Amino acid sequence: MLKYIGRRLIISLPELLIISLMIFLIMYAAPGDFLDQYRLDPSVSPQRLKAMEEEFGLNKPAIVQYLTWLKNVLKGNLGYSFYYRRPVSTLIWERVAATLILSLISLASSWILGIALGVFTALKKYSIGDKIMTFLAFGFVAIPEFFLGLVLLYFAAKTGWFPISGMKSVYYSSLSTWERFKDILWHLILPATALSLGSFAGLMRYMRGSLLDVLNEDYVVFARAKGMPERVVIFKHAMRNAINPMITFLGFSISGLLGGALFVENVFGWPGMGRLVYQALIQQDMYIVMASGLISAVLLVAGNLVADILLALVDPRVRLS
Amino acid sequence: MKRVLTVALVLAFFVLSFAAEKYVYFDENTPYLGAKATGKPGGTLIAPQLGSGPKTVNPIVAQETSSTAVINVFLISLIEMDNYARMYPALAERCEVEVTDDEKMIITLKIRKGIKWSDGAPFTADDFVFSLNDIYCNPDIPNDMANLLEDSQGRLPVAEKVDDYTVKITYQEPYRLAVRYAAGIQILPKHIAEPWVKQGKFKEMWTVDAINKKELVGLGPFIPVEYVPDQFVRMVKNPYYYKKDANGQQLPYLDEYVLKIIPDLNAIRLAFENGEIDVYGVTAQFYPEIKNKAKEKGWIVGTGGPNFGTTFVTLNFNCTDPVKRSWFRNEFFRKAIAYSMDKDAMIDTLLAGLGVAQWGPISAAAAAFYNDDVLRKYPYDLDYARMMLQLGGFSWDKDGNCVDASGNKVEFILMTNAGNTQREGTCNILRDELAKLGIKVVFTPIDFNTLVQKMTATGDWDAIVIGLTGSDEPQGGANVWKLDGALHFWNYSPKVKNFVSADIYEAPDWEVEIDKIFRENVRILDQKKVYQMFSRYQELVSEHLPLIYTIQQNYLYAYVDKLQNLEPTAFGGMLWNIDWIWKK
Repeated sequence: MLKYIGRRLIISLPELLIISLMIFLIMYAAPGDFLDQYRLDPSVSPQRLKAMEEEFGLNKPAIVQYLTWLKNVLKGNLGYSFYYRRPVSTLIWERVAATLILSLISLASSWILGIALGVFTALKKYSIGDKIMTFLAFGFVAIPEFFLGLVLLYFAAKTGWFPISGMKSVYYSSLSTWERFKDILWHLILPATALSLGSFAGLMRYMRGSLLDVLNEDYVVFARAKGMPERVVIFKHAMRNAINPMITFLGFSISGLLGGALFVENVFGWPGMGRLVYQALIQQDMYIVMASGLISAVLLVAGNLVADILLALVDPRVRLS
Repeated sequence: MKRVLTVALVLAFFVLSFAAEKYVYFDENTPYLGAKATGKPGGTLIAPQLGSGPKTVNPIVAQETSSTAVINVFLISLIEMDNYARMYPALAERCEVEVTDDEKMIITLKIRKGIKWSDGAPFTADDFVFSLNDIYCNPDIPNDMANLLEDSQGRLPVAEKVDDYTVKITYQEPYRLAVRYAAGIQILPKHIAEPWVKQGKFKEMWTVDAINKKELVGLGPFIPVEYVPDQFVRMVKNPYYYKKDANGQQLPYLDEYVLKIIPDLNAIRLAFENGEIDVYGVTAQFYPEIKNKAKEKGWIVGTGGPNFGTTFVTLNFNCTDPVKRSWFRNEFFRKAIAYSMDKDAMIDTLLAGLGVAQWGPISAAAAAFYNDDVLRKYPYDLDYARMMLQLGGFSWDKDGNCVDASGNKVEFILMTNAGNTQREGTCNILRDELAKLGIKVVFTPIDFNTLVQKMTATGDWDAIVIGLTGSDEPQGGANVWKLDGALHFWNYSPKVKNFVSADIYEAPDWEVEIDKIFRENVRILDQKKVYQMFSRYQELVSEHLPLIYTIQQNYLYAYVDKLQNLEPTAFGGMLWNIDWIWKK
């Protein structure tokens, strides 16, 4: 097992290298650069522009820029942000907690709801409840999450029940611990809802399909024929087999933990990585984009590995070697 | 009362300016802004900050408004401007300017006594002299302010301490903007900044981390004490602020001033409607709706004059295609475009009626220099436009297409940055109008960065609709109007950009005259002469139309009626007098 993990990790190194090179090339090939936003400003002198070009290394050939970045990354330095003039790692670190709170909560709620309702609809196949849930699920899958976010924002603005943007109110520092918790929770509800609804609907459909497949298998019929209680048939035999594809999905979900909330964060002014990255993309603040791309790639590799290991643990037919 | 005083001040200034030699900009009898205010202390004001939070709180590193919005509140100057860009005494109580016989310019400033930094240290002439000489004019610390401080020969001023409360600034020649910029620098505390400068690390002083570490020291009304990234910046009242109101009450009135960081304009609007922020710079498209709700919601909603800045059509004088180049350099062709622009329709459809037509390079907001009388105007009239085309040697073929003297069909590409609805709308209207003249315009909105590259790096464009920021001071456009200016994009000199070939480059007489105005006006202290020079500039530009101006949105504002003492204008915005705004 350890050998397997080690081998997977070694294979992932060239993967990450290629991914980072591709992100760099895409950023480099995009027209213009970070300094364009200053080029049409009458108050920024050409000398100043030249000095900034020099400072940021934007006047060097592409390959030199990439290799310098790579060398720094190997030393544990993700580079500097042009815009903030601070290390990318601190900028990301400041925002990781906010993003994790949002994505972990929506990940948990969408999985719990998705699996529970998936099982429910599979068992009550073609009932009214199933039909309503199917209808809703298709709706939520079809609506992009940023649009769902805008609808919720509109709702908040009309009712005044929820805050429009942010994660903390401006009085946060003068609140007691309990009030702080409530304050964040109050700000969290809408973005977490927007983020969960889309993925919950998808998960529910997968769970339903997968369980229905299994329920038609011979061994389920056999178990029922043996007179096993229905609860045992479903949860001990059918579920265990139906859950396999879901575990693969879990691997993908992990890769989206830090980058998946980009749109929702921007709509709700949630102070996480998504906002940082979106702004960096617009402004071509290259090293922030590269760092976030690299982090997502690392999480994807890690998520897949975790999923494979979990699969081996759950399913005795799978052997890692 | 304040108006009367200002008029007296301006008059005094003009009278003295004819006496030459000595000018008193203001003296001990001029009260500082806010000295006549009344109000009640307490409360918090929450204002939105679009986009992202401050990147730094170091004034020479700061580049974006998100940073300067915070810095301007805790670092202030010897002088200040009111909401109409008139100069007032601030930390200095007297300012006089003398031109010596050998043409040197000496500014003498008297500093108010007894002022303290927010950490309690006394503020003296040393702080000012240190800030000007060792920071802004330090060759080891390149900064944008240094460009503004230079006289016409590129020489920097030198400050000298006469006594603890008197400073002398010396320029080698008269420089019109000397008081505004040299006395207007944001003063840094010497007792804190000096070690950083000595170690050559001033640029690393006061990163945003300094806010939460409570390291910031200033003379302004509020001091930033808390920054939650992408959330808000909290600033608290400076107990040592130097101003007192009419009743001797210590200013500022507000206890706290919070900038709430909100990613986009729609969210700002919703936050205002939801009562999360107190002020809102309304955009034209939302204005009618906000105005309708004002009474019911308890908002004060209004409009000031036009904004600063200009939006225009520019044609590439050095287009690589010689045929197109000859059209774009043809003055009659540009005038035909000007006459075919239906500005009223643009204002109605694009700005909900909340805008004005622009005819020249200075926005009407810059009241001290804008001269409506000299501007040549081109009211919408397609017959005039056709006449202009005929005068320019154009004619029409049997299908109604406009053709030039050699029979080429007139057809060009018009670009603007995608996503700017106002500019895209302008292009669409223009395209339709020019189609009526038989001119085929292909409109392609493109990405902002690509557009900038085309304008400043490759020169492969025909026509573009774009805008420039402006201010109350026309000299701010020097980069655009000097022949060798870095933003002289419609007719770059081959010396500045190598994509312009020297064989095709031409600088018409009027461009040369404008160039001269921008080089010479800064040496003249007589405001009247300067006014005349800039009038001539407006006349030349509107007559020859290197840029064909379009429309400008009016300044629009909304705030909750609990806020008192607000006097919003395009120059000052809503919060220029944050030190004497109060909340019921």
